[in-house]
Amino acid sequence: MTAIDGHTADRAEEALPTGYLDTAHPLETRFGDPDDPDNPVGFAAFLRADERGELLPAGRSLLDTYQLGAEFVPAAHGGRLRQADELAQTLRPVFRRDAALGLGHGAIKLIASATVWSTASTDHQRWLAQVLLRGGQAAGAYTELASGHDLTRSTVRATRDGTQYRLTGSKEVINNVNRADSVTLLARTGDGSGSRDHSLLLLDMSTVRRDRLRFLPRFRTAGLRAVHLGGVEFLDCPVPASAVVGELGGALETVLRAFQVTKATLTAATVGCFDTQLRMVTRFALERRLYHRSVAELPHVRSVLANAYADLLISDCLSSTVCRALHVLPGQTAVYAPATKYLVPLLIQESVDQLATVLGARSFLREGPYGIFQKHLRDLPVASLAHSGATVCQATVIPQLPRLARRSWLSGQQPAPASLFRLGAPLPELDFRRLEIAAGAEDSLLAVLPDAAAELRADPELGPLSARLVTELAALKASCTALAPRNRTPLAEPIGFELAERYSILLAASACLGVWRHNQDHPNPFLRDTAWLALALRRLTARLGLPVPPGSATAEQRVFTELVTRERENRSFDLAGRLLA
Amino acid sequence: MTTTTISSTTEIRDWLRERVAFYLERPIEEIDSAARLVEYGLDSLYALTLCGDIEDEFDITVPPTLAWDFPSVNAIAEQLHDQISEQRLADR
Repeated sequence: MTAIDGHTADRAEEALPTGYLDTAHPLETRFGDPDDPDNPVGFAAFLRADERGELLPAGRSLLDTYQLGAEFVPAAHGGRLRQADELAQTLRPVFRRDAALGLGHGAIKLIASATVWSTASTDHQRWLAQVLLRGGQAAGAYTELASGHDLTRSTVRATRDGTQYRLTGSKEVINNVNRADSVTLLARTGDGSGSRDHSLLLLDMSTVRRDRLRFLPRFRTAGLRAVHLGGVEFLDCPVPASAVVGELGGALETVLRAFQVTKATLTAATVGCFDTQLRMVTRFALERRLYHRSVAELPHVRSVLANAYADLLISDCLSSTVCRALHVLPGQTAVYAPATKYLVPLLIQESVDQLATVLGARSFLREGPYGIFQKHLRDLPVASLAHSGATVCQATVIPQLPRLARRSWLSGQQPAPASLFRLGAPLPELDFRRLEIAAGAEDSLLAVLPDAAAELRADPELGPLSARLVTELAALKASCTALAPRNRTPLAEPIGFELAERYSILLAASACLGVWRHNQDHPNPFLRDTAWLALALRRLTARLGLPVPPGSATAEQRVFTELVTRERENRSFDLAGRLLA
Repeated sequence: MTTTTISSTTEIRDWLRERVAFYLERPIEEIDSAARLVEYGLDSLYALTLCGDIEDEFDITVPPTLAWDFPSVNAIAEQLHDQISEQRLADR
């Protein structure tokens, strides 16, 4: 089973809805021009709030007025959550301005609630939906500092006592926990070290006894300085037995399902930060004059900018495709979501470091028109760590690779359906319960690579590039099949992690090929053209450490031209290319 | 193992012990069929991988959480034997 059903494939043939691209996203419009120094929710205001270490109050009330909380509530419970890729598009205007606001007053609610939507517990779902729909705060208390993302080692304990549970222990580095109306808590309910010894509890903080808990002091951070990371210690705190969400002992399974949604959506949302940074540097390069010409006329600078733009498109191709895969390929996202959350932040980070060299001293000035660059630079690594860092993601990918290698790769696997890649096309509503906690034996996204390579064989530029990547896939298949057992675990030696990285890069190439192939009726000729795809595949080939087949210089030139056009037209750099405020 | 004969619980148990020994890189003699897998250091993600191996070997579909709910070689072998027997009966 790969595609969900026949009618999805049919619907993919329908014309893309694109008229909306010539209007700004409603949230973008509400925020207004970010460069206006007098805009109370512009870059200058966000920078000042960051210096103060607080979420910008005007930004919070803007999101409250927009009722952003409803974006995280499934439509079945009265909210606006239908599609993960749409949710990411809604979050991008926020992340474009301030990742701290986007996470701390936004996506954190998805992290707190996705686990609840992933169970069958409709009473809890209804209650949490009401909290979020009325603009309440929700916190997800999953991790503890000592055990990090290794949730099976969590020590907060819920002990059954008649009709109650008694909570003991503390959770640290939890966003908004001291202001939360609801707390989704992962607690130990069994004595073993197995995978059935933890449960989820949904706490109504208005009824929890305050004399039996203590909020921990705030943790200060280098990036995302405005978010409020706190902690909570439970002091033999009684909660009703009905607080248990879903099956007793079911927490790990639920988390493995829910975090696929949060990983994919958050990663796609952070493309908004990257957009702002690339925009700042593009503008700087066009305006600043050196050696009697603009900086943008320097060949090296043009190359850095064009390549950064290719990285942005790669990031969007992979993260948006994986958001759509949550709907189309729910049996395969257990490997796609962590691969994306590993690769995209890394790609953005390295690209932004290159952009910083163009900006020079302005890349670290905390004030002035380019001040937002350094803020995003500091924020992104912290935002990327939210609820699962790079190493955890790789460790999740590694054990799944040998079976995919053996059963799927280059073994007659059908490529993913067109509906996976159709930009902005409607999909059946997100169903958290259909997500599998482990990828099976199918990998239809990766199967796009050999399929497209066969079709592109005669293309002078894309032919050799995609053929080279297929050769790499064959090598990866051999390496993963032969991977020593000890290297298939979180305790793997570097070889395991390296294979996870190579896999993620090939997956990104497949996503780029899929997006290009299946949007050939897109109104923007740039997306139909091969230039961005060629540059993207060259970037990924280089990232694999392979010699890059010689290509035409015009690809880079055309990508650079589009970058400048979009900057001038005030359109987003992502695949959507939508008007900005 | 796609033969039509139903694997005995012993055969399934031996195969499972061999797989566990493979993952642990230890001799099969050291694998106690009654011990909880997690005590050998086979964590939750390992257990998911083992389920994939089971599906491929016996050509059946099992919940990915099988090794969480049946946490020893013996427990998994009995559960698998029951499932395979039922399936073969249903296929007849």
